[in-house]
Amino acid sequence: MTEIKSKSRTEELKESAYSKSPPPKKNLVKIIINFVIVLIVLGWAFNGANFNIRELIEGRKPLISTLGRMMPPDFKKIVDPNHYNKPEDLNIPQLFLPIPLEKVQAKHKETWWNNQFPQTILGSMIQTIQMAMAGTTIALFFAFPISFLAARNTSPHPLVYKTLKIILSVLRTIPELALGLIFVSAVGLGAFAGTMALAFGTTTVLIKLVSESIERIDEGVVEAVKTTGANYFQILSFAVVPQMLPDLISFGLYRFETNIRAASVLGLIGAGGMGYLLNNAFRTFAYQEACAIVVILIVLVISVDNISARLRRLAI
Amino acid sequence: MSSDYLLQVNDLKKSYTTDNLILKGISLDIKPGEFVGVLGLSGAGKSTFLRCINRLIEPTSGNILFKKSFITDKDTDNEVMDVCKLNNKELRLLRRKIGMIFQQFNIVKRLTVIDNVLSGSLGYQNAFKSTFRIFSVDDKKKALANLERVGLLSQAYKRADALSGGQQQRVAIARTLMQNPKVILADEPVASLDPKLSREVLGILKKVCKEDGISALVSLHTLELTKIYSDRIIGFQGGYITFDGSADQLNDDEIEKVYTKTGD
Repeated sequence: MTEIKSKSRTEELKESAYSKSPPPKKNLVKIIINFVIVLIVLGWAFNGANFNIRELIEGRKPLISTLGRMMPPDFKKIVDPNHYNKPEDLNIPQLFLPIPLEKVQAKHKETWWNNQFPQTILGSMIQTIQMAMAGTTIALFFAFPISFLAARNTSPHPLVYKTLKIILSVLRTIPELALGLIFVSAVGLGAFAGTMALAFGTTTVLIKLVSESIERIDEGVVEAVKTTGANYFQILSFAVVPQMLPDLISFGLYRFETNIRAASVLGLIGAGGMGYLLNNAFRTFAYQEACAIVVILIVLVISVDNISARLRRLAI
Repeated sequence: MSSDYLLQVNDLKKSYTTDNLILKGISLDIKPGEFVGVLGLSGAGKSTFLRCINRLIEPTSGNILFKKSFITDKDTDNEVMDVCKLNNKELRLLRRKIGMIFQQFNIVKRLTVIDNVLSGSLGYQNAFKSTFRIFSVDDKKKALANLERVGLLSQAYKRADALSGGQQQRVAIARTLMQNPKVILADEPVASLDPKLSREVLGILKKVCKEDGISALVSLHTLELTKIYSDRIIGFQGGYITFDGSADQLNDDEIEKVYTKTGD
């Protein structure tokens, strides 16, 4: 008996609560209008992009035949020692380790490194890694101090961070290829131009990411260190740096991965790295060799991603 | 002006907006070595008052006087100074002598416990060396001694985030002791801790203050704890001090006054 009573009591409560505070009604007309607007905008975008399914279907044959010509990837040049033009008077350790050598040998070694080494696939792969490492390191070196000036809460004056943010957002819009072209015209063709392009592009991005990370720190800790009578730099060192360091390392490693990919593109404009060989292979219709280069690039990017994921876990 | 005060607060006012004063004229003397409990509802101005004393918040008007000997430790420095008129350098010297404990502990979680404690001595350190976290052996010994006083010597080289809440607040007390403070401001130091830990932390705070002759201003939200630990209790209500006396004098009428919300 009591059970039935309480059941009807619950029903009563439900009804009264519903009538007091009914859920808002959905406006069907509004939903349809929004849907139509979205459709019109998307139609405009696809039209402007010359999107054409028929061409895609018709293009499948040449696409498949090109892909077919890329198979199987040709690793001959990579595994064939002759391709590396190893000087006969030098062995492998002598070539790669800083061992004291006779004058003639040293000359051969220098010539091989300068002229031969970067033009082989393995050599250009190593150069790609080196460019990414150097570029990221230069960027970290500059981004670390500037980030404090660009963050609202650690900037010495509001004008400083506001000005910096405007300048940086302008600089960030320059694509890496454009930076590459600028540095090639400044310092000539080669890895140095590519490295500077990576360093410059990475600096502007890192400052944005790191200064935003600084803006998210726990201000309570800053307050606590401030009350010990600490000065500006001591506050940065004890309250700010420990809180932003994991992000700095994380962003640095992420940009290193991105720079490996970017370095391979920069080769297209002659700024060093694997892209140069990839471009050459395509232009000479050596599709199987191009495919081998792409495979190596994929392996490289995946390994770097894995290694940096491990390093990141170590740091945090 | 009586001669045995440590800090003398005169008609201190603070407003965040032009028409609404959060502190409407606070006056009181803090004597050396007294443990003062601060009571009041949320929004009564306890936090703002504590933060005005070391100027984490800039007071709107009024003054907070201290003798120069407060920051120089020389008894002959009798010149009277005003906290509200200090320049940056003087303010840092003052802050060295005023410790602060926070509700959220505010220790640096990614640093070791001993580095956290050492950060309390930053005001006394060589600016360049300490920025790179280089401290003398003597400073490290002092930090370890202070950790032993709060019962955490065995945790010295752990990362601070490995510690429990109660332990983290004890690290904060050890950090404050590194300042050789004359006053400790504690803003709801036990509000994030359970009752047992609250007593433990307050017990340690009171013990070290008595041992070193440090004055303390401790805002608390439980009447019971305030009555147990305070030598003197001040009650905040609507931006004024409505009670100032010993725990015995805090009868039910007075409690009612402190905990009545005014409409303004």
